[in-house]
Amino acid sequence: MTGQGTTDLTVPENAEELRRTVTRLFGRSLHIRTLDTGSCAACEQEIRLLAAPHYDLNRLGFFFTPAPRHADLLMVTGPMVRAFEDAARKTYDAIPDPKIVVATGACALGGVYQPDAFTHGGVGGTLPVDVWIPGCPPSPLALLQGLLVAVGRLAEKVKSLDFSLNGTPT
Amino acid sequence: MTAIQPSVASRPGLNDLLTGFGPDAAGDGPVITVRVPVAGLEAAVRRIAAHPGARLADVFASAGGPVTLRLVWGLDADRRYLITESLIDGDSYPSLSAIAPAAFAEECEIYEQFGIRPADGRPLNRVALPPGAGPDWPRLGRAPAGPPAGVHAPHHVGGHAFEFPFGPVRQVAVESLYYGLVTSGEELVDLYLFTWHKHRGVEWRLRGLTPRDALFQVERTEGLGAVGNAWAFAAAAEAALGLQPPPRAMAARAIALELERLYNHAAATAALCQSTGLVIGQAAAEIALERLLRVNAAVFGHRYLFGVVDIGGTRAEPDLAALRSDLPGAYGELKRAADALMSTNSFLDRLEATGILAEEAARRLGLVGPVARATGLAADTRADHPAWPYGEFPLAVAVADTGDVLARFRVMLTEAAESVRLIGEIGGAAAGPGLALSPAAGPGRLAGSGLGWAESSRGESMAWVALDGSGRITRARLRPAAVRNWRGFDDACRSQNVFTDIPIIEASFWLTVAGTSR
Amino acid sequence: MPLWTLRGLRRGVVTTRYPARPDPSAGLLPTPPAFRPGALTRDLAERLATVCPSRALARDGDVLVFDAGACTACGRCRAEAPEATASSGEFELAATARAHLIKRIPVRPA
Repeated sequence: MTGQGTTDLTVPENAEELRRTVTRLFGRSLHIRTLDTGSCAACEQEIRLLAAPHYDLNRLGFFFTPAPRHADLLMVTGPMVRAFEDAARKTYDAIPDPKIVVATGACALGGVYQPDAFTHGGVGGTLPVDVWIPGCPPSPLALLQGLLVAVGRLAEKVKSLDFSLNGTPT
Repeated sequence: MTAIQPSVASRPGLNDLLTGFGPDAAGDGPVITVRVPVAGLEAAVRRIAAHPGARLADVFASAGGPVTLRLVWGLDADRRYLITESLIDGDSYPSLSAIAPAAFAEECEIYEQFGIRPADGRPLNRVALPPGAGPDWPRLGRAPAGPPAGVHAPHHVGGHAFEFPFGPVRQVAVESLYYGLVTSGEELVDLYLFTWHKHRGVEWRLRGLTPRDALFQVERTEGLGAVGNAWAFAAAAEAALGLQPPPRAMAARAIALELERLYNHAAATAALCQSTGLVIGQAAAEIALERLLRVNAAVFGHRYLFGVVDIGGTRAEPDLAALRSDLPGAYGELKRAADALMSTNSFLDRLEATGILAEEAARRLGLVGPVARATGLAADTRADHPAWPYGEFPLAVAVADTGDVLARFRVMLTEAAESVRLIGEIGGAAAGPGLALSPAAGPGRLAGSGLGWAESSRGESMAWVALDGSGRITRARLRPAAVRNWRGFDDACRSQNVFTDIPIIEASFWLTVAGTSR
Repeated sequence: MPLWTLRGLRRGVVTTRYPARPDPSAGLLPTPPAFRPGALTRDLAERLATVCPSRALARDGDVLVFDAGACTACGRCRAEAPEATASSGEFELAATARAHLIKRIPVRPA
């Protein structure tokens, strides 16, 4: 997370302090701007459903905003089509610090598309990503979990999963 | 869709049309291919365009010593597709859009990808490759001599009108798309789109893959049209390979296609409510949408029906018990929301007479799907070029005639009801444990080419593939419905509308950017 | 708007209780695979790496490297090796570092 810009924010000494800072700033109310860098449109549909009655992200203190100036978190989908890079950077730059970048969906994480002349094959090389949400597309439940992890209200789970079937978790 | 039924008897007009091409016409099934030397192409295009019920469905090229230019015509009244193939030796060919304006966007893309252009020299737009795409940029063919015009043509700016750009980063959770708006204040004088921000080079990337491997990319070209586009592509590969999917697989595909239509129409309903500020209607439609997506997950294992279509059949065994138990409730939510909306005058007032498209414009621009049917153009691939089971279970094509947002909404609601009915009838045919989901025999041949199609929720989705001797793709052409229908968006917005109407019109088209910028 | 108000009230609440309570609809979601180390051979690991269309699988010596971030849960690896894979059932996959999504699963040396 880029941590410069506000008066009461000094560079955190360690990861724990950073986590507490993020939770203090964004834990109760967070504004989200989305950025489509070339998705197939399914991720956008799942993101739209976050505001729908079944999921209602507002009840958790999350709000969508079209204005980058008002945003705290940038939710990025798509494989970063090179022709879109300029627009992506301008959107990122327009969001004031401190901000969180969440790469959303397999395309943004480096799956589906390989880097070539058309796309970067993921957003990690172009924007500084703080949280990664897998899925194709990630369901609204997965998106909610990702947002809650991003603001420190849920502990990350996947780090301790081993995807191995021999009696250990998962 | 590959047809299992025997071909329908041709009307005399079709025979006359074909005899005009001499002995070069080949194919007695649903697709006829004709070689037309480029010198005779203009005359041929005029003749075909004048044939009753003829519609230019697609234009694309393939690389080679001379480039091969293919025009795909839907001869809807004769239940055939007609492909004309012409070898283009130099770098120009007769202007097609002068006779069939529907060809214009394709002429633009062919120029960017293959370096050949219409002979009349009119300015072409940039549609696919970004402005930085120099001569070394990967293309499907050879690079053009010069870049296409930077300015969108035709383009009217005059009097007190001014132009301002909007996008590509737009409202939250909508796709990136650039609008150029030309306005004299509140009224929209002109609108043009730059569609190259999301161009991922899918057709370029598919070369060298097997059709089965390519399906993964095809589904993810336009995720909200995964079944329709994958079906069209699979059907093209099956035509090339001489594969016939078994009936149970075709029934499963049809159920998936109708489920895709249902959730898209529910999503369009929600978007229409959002665009008119009717938050409570939006919530009601979103409840329906979420329930329909859960039906998809329960029946086929994926909310967006990825991984259903396979080459030669289907990959997923549908859970028909879940379909029977869950679909009625989910559709009931949509029906109740729609009925309430049709009684809400403040909502209907925003839709009526907004974004009007004339039938003549739909014809001229080659529009498809609910957008075209709402103008009175009764074309539906499920009725005109039916693959089993559509031919066996007759379909009532939903048509309206005012061509406005309300007409498109009505068409979608009628189609949704029809989809539920079709699913009920086809559901019986999809049952039968032990019947294959894939053909017992392997492909009859490895090399060949074929045309495939499906009526996606947005309209006719087409695909064409050419395979080499090892069964790998040398050319894959994907033409989702959005490629056609975005060009109707400009027209619909220009008809005496104001800015606040644009999201309403966009919701009523319910296209995707990914479907054209691929 | 009485029509809408009454309908809304009758409809009731559909909102998920997640994260306070688990959501039953999560059981319908496709999830990345989990692998049986005892059933994986080098050969099988190679085949799985070839079959994955999203480059989420690779073999590194006697290890199957699984990138849960690139995985789309398409099921092709499950179809290729049903005895060596199963659905993980995990959908809460958000990671604060990309490396947290890269898993190394031992392969039988023989």
